[in-house]
Amino acid sequence: MKYGKVYFEDVQVGDELPHLVKGPIQQIQLTRYAGASGDFNPIHQDHEFAKAAGMGDVFAHGMLSMGFVAQSVTDWSGAGTVRKLGVRFLALVRLQDTVTCKGRVLAKSSKDDVHTVDLGIWAENPKGEKVVSGKATVALPVRG
Amino acid sequence: MPIQLNRVVGKEYPPYAVTVERGRIKDFARAIGDLNPLYLDDEVGRASEWGDVIAPPTFPISFRDESVDLLRDIGTDVSRLLHGEQEFEIFEPLRPGETYLCRSKIVDQYEKTGKTGPMGFVVRETAMTDKHNEVVARMRGITVVRL
Repeated sequence: MKYGKVYFEDVQVGDELPHLVKGPIQQIQLTRYAGASGDFNPIHQDHEFAKAAGMGDVFAHGMLSMGFVAQSVTDWSGAGTVRKLGVRFLALVRLQDTVTCKGRVLAKSSKDDVHTVDLGIWAENPKGEKVVSGKATVALPVRG
Repeated sequence: MPIQLNRVVGKEYPPYAVTVERGRIKDFARAIGDLNPLYLDDEVGRASEWGDVIAPPTFPISFRDESVDLLRDIGTDVSRLLHGEQEFEIFEPLRPGETYLCRSKIVDQYEKTGKTGPMGFVVRETAMTDKHNEVVARMRGITVVRL
């Protein structure tokens, strides 16, 4: 079930989303993401620049990790279901890090024939530290 | 000495239009490594409830315009920037060929001292409307400046 479709009735509070492991992060992916997103901050590309800026080395765009987390949600609930997605960026993702995306169902609600599920979502680096954390809301179909 | 940022709260940028190009959606999804066929496969998109491929949830972050130059306005350089928070609200998936009008404003600005020193925070909201002037998505981002 790579690209899921999940029905509102089948979701229970406390359910966990399948883990999505991304990476290890390579420089080429950061360059590609810069081009796709338009964020050309050299701090994600140029080791000397990042070092001079006091960051030690290049690190991944926070938005790339947010994109991973969004994928972990839509792999489960289906593309086009996300109504809201918000995260805080908590730690830097470095080259060679894997990013493991996780999530859990926090609440369900129905209003005016729109059936939504609130999720707690986060991603961890290989040390198990959270690199991003936040919430998502998805609108799901009903079996009817 | 920490640097002093210009106050920009309340600033509204001139609206700018972005036309979503099919290839940009696909490049964006592939850059994340998200190979969902609803983002990448025109046939799958055509057969879907939207009648075309759609953009991934974080795609609006690529809606940039030279007229919105936060760095210039707050008076700092790119090496001091970090991303603090980001949020998207999507009322309708964004689609190729559509033109969206983006309205950005600075809604908050504050300073805090964290474990690595003083930091400036600038909160920007952007609303995207379609050709019917309906808001289809909003995004809210917090830029952090190491002062």
